[in-house]
Amino acid sequence: MSTHTTPRPPRAARSAAPRRPSGIAARLGPLPWIGPAVALIVLVVLWPVYEMVRTSFLNISISGFVRGSAGLEQYRRLFDEPDLAGVLTATVVWTVAVVGVTMALSLALAQLFNQRFPGRRLTRWALIAPWAASVLMTAIGFSWMLDRTAGVLNTLMTDLGLIDAPRDWLGSPATAWPWMMCVAVFVSLPFTTYTLLAGLQTIPGEVYEAARVDGTSTWQTYRLVTLPLLRPAFLVGVVINLINVFNSFPIIWAMTRGGPASDTATSTVFMYQLKSSDIGLSAAMSVVNFALVVLMVVAFLKVSRWNADSKEEAR
Amino acid sequence: MKKRTLRFPAACLAGALALTACGGGGADDGSVTLKLVAADYGNKASNSTSVYWEEVAEAFEADHPGIRVDVRVINWNDIDSQVKTMIQSGNVPDLLQTGGFADKVADDLLHPAKDVLSPTTRENLVDSFARAGEVDGVQYGIPFVSSSRVLFYNKEVFSEAGLSEPPATWDDVREAAERIKSEVPGVTPYALPLGPEEAQGETLIWELGNGGGYTDADGAYTLDSEANVETFRWLKTNLVDPGLTYANPESTERKTAFADFAAGKAAMLNGHPSLIQMSKDGGVDYGVAPIPGRDGALESTLGVADWMMAFKDNGHQEQIREFLDFAYAEEHTLSFMERYNLMPVTDDTLERMRTGGDHPDLELFFELLPEASFYPLGDVTWDAVSAEIKQSGGTAVAGDPAEVLGDLQRKAEDIVSDQR
Repeated sequence: MSTHTTPRPPRAARSAAPRRPSGIAARLGPLPWIGPAVALIVLVVLWPVYEMVRTSFLNISISGFVRGSAGLEQYRRLFDEPDLAGVLTATVVWTVAVVGVTMALSLALAQLFNQRFPGRRLTRWALIAPWAASVLMTAIGFSWMLDRTAGVLNTLMTDLGLIDAPRDWLGSPATAWPWMMCVAVFVSLPFTTYTLLAGLQTIPGEVYEAARVDGTSTWQTYRLVTLPLLRPAFLVGVVINLINVFNSFPIIWAMTRGGPASDTATSTVFMYQLKSSDIGLSAAMSVVNFALVVLMVVAFLKVSRWNADSKEEAR
Repeated sequence: MKKRTLRFPAACLAGALALTACGGGGADDGSVTLKLVAADYGNKASNSTSVYWEEVAEAFEADHPGIRVDVRVINWNDIDSQVKTMIQSGNVPDLLQTGGFADKVADDLLHPAKDVLSPTTRENLVDSFARAGEVDGVQYGIPFVSSSRVLFYNKEVFSEAGLSEPPATWDDVREAAERIKSEVPGVTPYALPLGPEEAQGETLIWELGNGGGYTDADGAYTLDSEANVETFRWLKTNLVDPGLTYANPESTERKTAFADFAAGKAAMLNGHPSLIQMSKDGGVDYGVAPIPGRDGALESTLGVADWMMAFKDNGHQEQIREFLDFAYAEEHTLSFMERYNLMPVTDDTLERMRTGGDHPDLELFFELLPEASFYPLGDVTWDAVSAEIKQSGGTAVAGDPAEVLGDLQRKAEDIVSDQR
């Protein structure tokens, strides 16, 4: 009762009067609060993008000295580059193959980890290992395991009689590609499996009960109930993996440096190789890569909206 | 409150700017910091060249208060691209010690040698090297270290295979390699490293053996000359296809070849003097011989010099001169050469090493050095052409030699026409 009649506490009164939002502060709104984040984005994202695009229009000598503008010359040279077609094809094959195999294996793994079995907690933890280790470290590890003279994989396969002499797996594109793809799948599995596992756990048990009542077989249940309901998680996994695998530089760089010549290079690695002869040309390649990634991000946003829409429809 | 939040990002920005500003030379007290960027001649942390340069820098700083030397040693694989990034971003070193210099002359970045060396130091440089440092008659490249290539062979493997003499011709190489392959399994008969690390060196050595090379008498590129194409055809049909060398020479690095030889796992290869110490450490009983050519041993082997160069950008000409005069004194150059078993480029050190009797290992190298052939170092386009050869030249033994060398020649001609 008394609170109604007593004046406001002095502290509140003091702050209320001068805190009438003045013109400038009101107009700034939340800017001061998001300012640091915006500044950070401008500094570490937008500015490098600007520099990259600018560099691609410059004529830079091999010593790194800027000789002036090159106009569109670098792009013309890039598209005349005889290796470019091969590199782009390799990039598509690499991305599709790695993402495809990753998704297929992850679906199986996620299903497995969704079951109850002794040791599940331990195996779930073990699956995180390739994710927790640095990709570069994993790639270097594999390249030594595959080493021609000292590699344990070579020794193991020779001892098992799978091959008759140690082979130089990473020396020729025909064997280097499959091995690098294996490593890329290996490091992509944990994230994808966990995404799908999370998706599986959101599927309510009643749907399965209903399916059982209707007398569906296991395979039918999986195809008609699990997969459609897993679609949101699956699509997120696909798109994030596409971007990751497309950009995947350390695996290839650590294992073959894109060589011999550019025979095991994806467009990201090729960009780095071009750097040794011409920074401008390399920047032009970066811009093309950047455009491709932006396309994929747009696709991602489309897909997530599609996910949201399909949820709306479901309601 | 509000003001403080606004101030925070501003402070961050100012801090970041201040941090980047610290990169510049010169402090308030008038002292100057010289930035030295150098290549690493060691093959492990304990013999890294940074140890050598830190010692020289420390001795120099003690002698010359007011000048600090900031040493940065970078391995051979990365030094070109890192230096390029430094120049492009305006963070130019004062002194650079690496493999090539002419590209920097094209952009007028370097001091001529006479501006940064006292007459005494300059006269002490071996003539042929000083001349190799010239671009259009003016010396810019200051030779730092040299080496010539010879054939190393593993004596133990040779005797196991019943071979007594090192090969003198290409056919000898093939026959020796065949014997080694059948008698001593598990050993690579001839180690042919054509990967990006030094494809341009191994390539030239073999091409010289067939009377080929990178340029004609007028200095125009002849990368796909008949002699050069033939050289690669020979390598492909006689060494690569029959499995007498690595399965994929085009992706095998020189350091792999050296390591294999030092581990007794390769029987023959072209090597430079640092392989001497590596072989000794590995307990390999090695022999050296002149490099085999198509019809007889090469009279003119590949000579390589690495270079020191001084950049104009920071305006430290005086301090650079003081440092170079100090670093090129006999005690320092001798210590460097002995540390890495490399060959000197200064008269006093050369004389001392040749006559001192301390270096019987290097005799053959000293003998071959005066007649050595060099890369076209004084050509301002050489560094760009060399980068292309490193990147894809080795694939000539995997694919069609004429096609690969033809592509390289076209790229070289493009580079030359861009330059003009």
